[in-house]
Amino acid sequence: MKFHIALGALIALAAATVAKADTIKVGITVSQTGPAASLGIPQRNSVALLPTEIAGQKIEYIVLDDATDATKAVANTRKLIDEDNVDVIIGPSITPAALAMVDVVGEKKVPLIVLAASARIIEPPTGAKAWVFKTPQNDSLMADAVAARMAQDGVKSIAFIGFNDSYGDGWLTEITRALAAKNIALLDTERYARTDTSVTGQVLKAISAKPDAILIAGAGSPAALPAKALVERGYKGRVYQTHGVANADFLRVGGKDVEGEILPAGPVLVADQLPANNEVKPVAQKYVSQYEAKYGAGSMATFGAHLYDAGLLLTAAIPEALKKAKPGTAEFRSALRDAMEHQTGVVMTQGVANLSPADHNGFDARARVMVTVRDGKWLLLP
Amino acid sequence: MDASILLILVQDGLVNGAIYALLALSLVLVFTVTRVLFIPQGELVAFAALTYSTLAEGHVPASIFLLAGLGATACLRGLWDARATRNKYGKILFGTLGPPAVVVPLTLWLAPRHPGLAVSALLAVATVAPMAPALYRIAFAPLASASILTLLIAAVSVRFAMVGIGLVIFGPEGTRGIGFSDAFFTVGPLTIPGQAIWIWIVTFALMLALAIFFGRTLIGRALRATAINRLGAQLVGIPAEGAGRLAFTLAGAIGAISGVLVAPLTTIYYDTGFLIGLKGFVAAIAGGLVGYPAAVIAALAVGIVESVSSFWASAYKEVIVFTAVLPVLLVRSLLGPPSEHDE
Amino acid sequence: MKRGLWLLFLLAWLAAPLLGIVPPFWISLANTIGIATVVVLGLVVLTGVGGMTSFGQASLMGFGAYTTALLNTSLHLSPWIALPASIAASVAAALTLGAVTLRLSSQYLALATLAWSVSLFYLAGNLDLTGRYDGIPAIPAVSLFNINLAAPEKFFVVIWVSVALAMLATANLLDSRVGRAMRALRGGAIAAASCGAPPAQAKLLAFLYAAALAGWAGWLYAHLQRAVNPTPFSFAASTEYLLMAVLGGAGHIGGALLGAAIFTLLNDRLQSFLPLLIPTPGNFELVAFGCLMLVLLQTAPEGLWPHLFRPRPQPRPIDETLALPRRNIPPPGTLLLESIALTRRFGGLVAVDALSFSACAGEIVGVIGPNGAGKSTIFNLLTGVDQPSAGQIKFRSEEITGSNAAAIAELGIARSFQHVQLVAGMSVIENVCLGAHLRGHAGPLRALLQLDCAEEAALFAEAMRQLDRVGLRQHADRPAGSLALGQQRIVEIARALCLDPVMLLLDEPAAGLRHNEKEQLATLLRQLRAEGLGVLLVEHDMDFVMQLADRLVVMNFGAKLTEGAPESVGRNPQVIEAYLGTAA
Repeated sequence: MKFHIALGALIALAAATVAKADTIKVGITVSQTGPAASLGIPQRNSVALLPTEIAGQKIEYIVLDDATDATKAVANTRKLIDEDNVDVIIGPSITPAALAMVDVVGEKKVPLIVLAASARIIEPPTGAKAWVFKTPQNDSLMADAVAARMAQDGVKSIAFIGFNDSYGDGWLTEITRALAAKNIALLDTERYARTDTSVTGQVLKAISAKPDAILIAGAGSPAALPAKALVERGYKGRVYQTHGVANADFLRVGGKDVEGEILPAGPVLVADQLPANNEVKPVAQKYVSQYEAKYGAGSMATFGAHLYDAGLLLTAAIPEALKKAKPGTAEFRSALRDAMEHQTGVVMTQGVANLSPADHNGFDARARVMVTVRDGKWLLLP
Repeated sequence: MDASILLILVQDGLVNGAIYALLALSLVLVFTVTRVLFIPQGELVAFAALTYSTLAEGHVPASIFLLAGLGATACLRGLWDARATRNKYGKILFGTLGPPAVVVPLTLWLAPRHPGLAVSALLAVATVAPMAPALYRIAFAPLASASILTLLIAAVSVRFAMVGIGLVIFGPEGTRGIGFSDAFFTVGPLTIPGQAIWIWIVTFALMLALAIFFGRTLIGRALRATAINRLGAQLVGIPAEGAGRLAFTLAGAIGAISGVLVAPLTTIYYDTGFLIGLKGFVAAIAGGLVGYPAAVIAALAVGIVESVSSFWASAYKEVIVFTAVLPVLLVRSLLGPPSEHDE
Repeated sequence: MKRGLWLLFLLAWLAAPLLGIVPPFWISLANTIGIATVVVLGLVVLTGVGGMTSFGQASLMGFGAYTTALLNTSLHLSPWIALPASIAASVAAALTLGAVTLRLSSQYLALATLAWSVSLFYLAGNLDLTGRYDGIPAIPAVSLFNINLAAPEKFFVVIWVSVALAMLATANLLDSRVGRAMRALRGGAIAAASCGAPPAQAKLLAFLYAAALAGWAGWLYAHLQRAVNPTPFSFAASTEYLLMAVLGGAGHIGGALLGAAIFTLLNDRLQSFLPLLIPTPGNFELVAFGCLMLVLLQTAPEGLWPHLFRPRPQPRPIDETLALPRRNIPPPGTLLLESIALTRRFGGLVAVDALSFSACAGEIVGVIGPNGAGKSTIFNLLTGVDQPSAGQIKFRSEEITGSNAAAIAELGIARSFQHVQLVAGMSVIENVCLGAHLRGHAGPLRALLQLDCAEEAALFAEAMRQLDRVGLRQHADRPAGSLALGQQRIVEIARALCLDPVMLLLDEPAAGLRHNEKEQLATLLRQLRAEGLGVLLVEHDMDFVMQLADRLVVMNFGAKLTEGAPESVGRNPQVIEAYLGTAA
């Protein structure tokens, strides 16, 4: 029976920690460990850059790790809602976890701002998904941009080498659709795992299909492995990457082998190169300089900016919600949801968001730029 | 798939297979002597690779502090366990604190001076190899009489901690080491990278050295005796704990060397150890967990099946590699006698 | 009485969340613990009791979860209809895997489950049917009598009723005829085979039972989360369940709950408390978790449940008036067992060399010979534990060469072992009861539902009678491993007698006995002979054999040296030479 006594004690302890609601509580669950740690860690780091006060209300952030596991993400969601009584949740980093969390936030009526890319998470924004928002650009937006660029470059056929996970799946689906629209043939589809030690087989197969170009869909430094293998196997054609690679580690690992590769990205990746009249530029520059002041030069990754953007969305919406209800109440959460849904012209690091009941992301073509790798640095393409 | 592509794939598979073989060898070695399925062996490979890459770039790898921490913990643990006898203090201090005492200052001094690839490789091995015996002292020696299952779970726990530490000290992104050789050798349709040849040579040399060690030297024979009969070995004066430490030291060294070898060929992450460790594990068990030659052949087979299936159906690569084990087991099940002696 | 208390406790536990006094998050945690407990209970039977390590419980759970997800979302079937389908899917998957590997030793099963677990993860991630890596969302909630059970505090009831049922079923199963055969897998597999309970069957049953629980847990998971994807059914998740089982104490039903609870709570609380201890950004939870697990394992290598509660076998009430039907014993002098030119070679070594002899009902035949003469090998050949290289074995004039141990047990040939084959953790009487395996008929289903009470009572009554007969009645409820070695040999005789044998093969029964105990044993054997049993006795104690045996077979180097009445054999110069070396 010792166990039950211990359990009872723990329950009592937990009950005592249920907080009084005089601050706005923001729960955050991101993948700080596990396969998506390269997304989750810059996101966690960016929490330090979020505002500590909005409209005179103190904001408290509670950060949890979901270990890139949907079950854990759902458990975290319940913990944040039930134990910490949060007003809004930011996260998770990956699509499967987001899909699993949707029902919970819908049932508990707590707004959720997702940091994963798939449009499936927020569409259609009814039922439980009425409570779900998303700051990363829809992957369809990025896929359209790549396909358009390919068409512009005169590419008639491509081969696809992508992650054997949800990220690769999402890209494969979207690019297949986008390519069809541009009459570009998808000759071959290859998949690899993030920690694979060799992609020789995939690369040989892709090359032997004789495509005009190859699209690599991976996130972070693992996306450099096929790029290097392509060079090793003498591939001379064009290589496109996805916005997932947009961090310094990709350049470090890829080295000279990723020179000239083209990718779509959020404008924050090339904040300094944006034209002076670009409204996103000052916001993006501010994020980059703050982040790199704290974590070192060249440490910025666009994944973290999605979390920062969630903060910007809250900054815009919270004053409105505060007029209707007090934080920590169901009315406040509902008001916050309504307020977010009607935010227009929110300038973020990744674009300008015009949210509406039909679109819980709100980004348009301003939220993506085409970038290439030149001399080991990102270069904005006109 | 034409013949030249098949050749390239087989060559690629043999490179990975050689790494799996080294992993399988270490697993078999540690298992037969200590009954521990040393799951974190893959992590040692990854840590050595990351340590080497960091050193080769002229930075101080945080893994030396991990070594220091493990050494200190192992020392405290050893002293605590020896508190009744009091006579082995010197040996314990030397055995546990010795390696970090040498490696940590040396690395701190050498790393910023860009010591070159050979020194980086040696330092990486010297940093990672002593982690294994330290882990043995901390985690497994106190459980020497526990069941195989408990030891397995202890190994899983060690892996949890190691992966966690790996993420903290190496970060989530990967690193690729600088190769020992940039040369490429062209043989018919094959372009063989110099690094692959390095891997084959070192793997073969390590296996030869192990064969000589087990066949010809007294200590090697003693280890083999412990593997065959723990009690018997103890009766003739081979202490099980000493044999265990030696087995772990060897495994650590083999793991560290494989890590340094593989670092330039591919990108290594803090958690790369998992899948390669799993494949080494498959080879070790498919080889029966007893036979070294069988484990090596199984490991090379795993490498080739993996490489060929990555060409043939890349999305299903792991499905093919791991499902291919089942028919092997089925054949064993149909041909072999039923086993009655478990545990 | 005790049962009533448990029921009361369960009701209170189930009602607690509905009263609204428990913080909601703790209900979620309890739900996670409950589902894990159901999976780990399977591992208790499979790994703790059966000694088979599985790295695949989570993928078997995945079969259950995906089955119900698909039936609910694609075919819109009720979750309650999907429940049996979920369990059936897991069991069918386990059956396929088991057919491949259960004959092999346990490390291959471990490998097979590992391989299977990894490939299924990637398969589920690549098939459109299973929704690829994003999985299947929007699984409907369970409802009962039009009450929607979506809320965690309501589904809590479903989960914990499942936990209670699974615990009860597991307890019933282990405490049954088939359960004892499973418990004999570790330490007594050969003995169980010689009692007519083939280990392969017990292994398969344990594997399927564990799979059924995993399927059930998968169903619970799918309807709690209402979304499935491959990650919770990965190899890593399987390893976590194994960890919970070992942490709690593999082999203990309570250990499943304890292991699942500690694992889940520790994981969760670390996340809350660790940032307070280590304020730097960085993820130390996994490190701290691994280290804590290690400390717990080193504190309690056998698991926390036995460490904390020191469970021991419960005395059980026995109604000794119950009796089992007995078989007809042939009249004394009937030819029972014949060995005809029996040969067994191990590589180049001939352990048994063209040995011929026979034994009749109502007769004690002693087999003697120096060490290494092949006596125990003979026993193994005669009882189907080992198979001869050449020659024939006949029983009551029917050829039985090549039969397996269980088939031979069925004929009424019972044995004891030179190296004691008792299950150390089972009580003495349970060990003895294993001998009566063939005299009961209840299968696993009757055991699960506890419909086997009458039969069980009769089996235990028989076991107690035999225990009484060998003089160990007072030790009935002690763990068999706690008895002296000599007494354990006697327990083996009681177990053999439970088979209701026609022929009894005893391998060095007197070794380790004190003088008066030997006398008692001799009396017992004489009595058995008088009842018409045939007894074949391998023994080193010459005085003991000489006073008992009607006939002696003397072996040397696997071959028969001579055969005859004890007095004549004792005078045989060849025998003296074999025993004392070259006397001349």
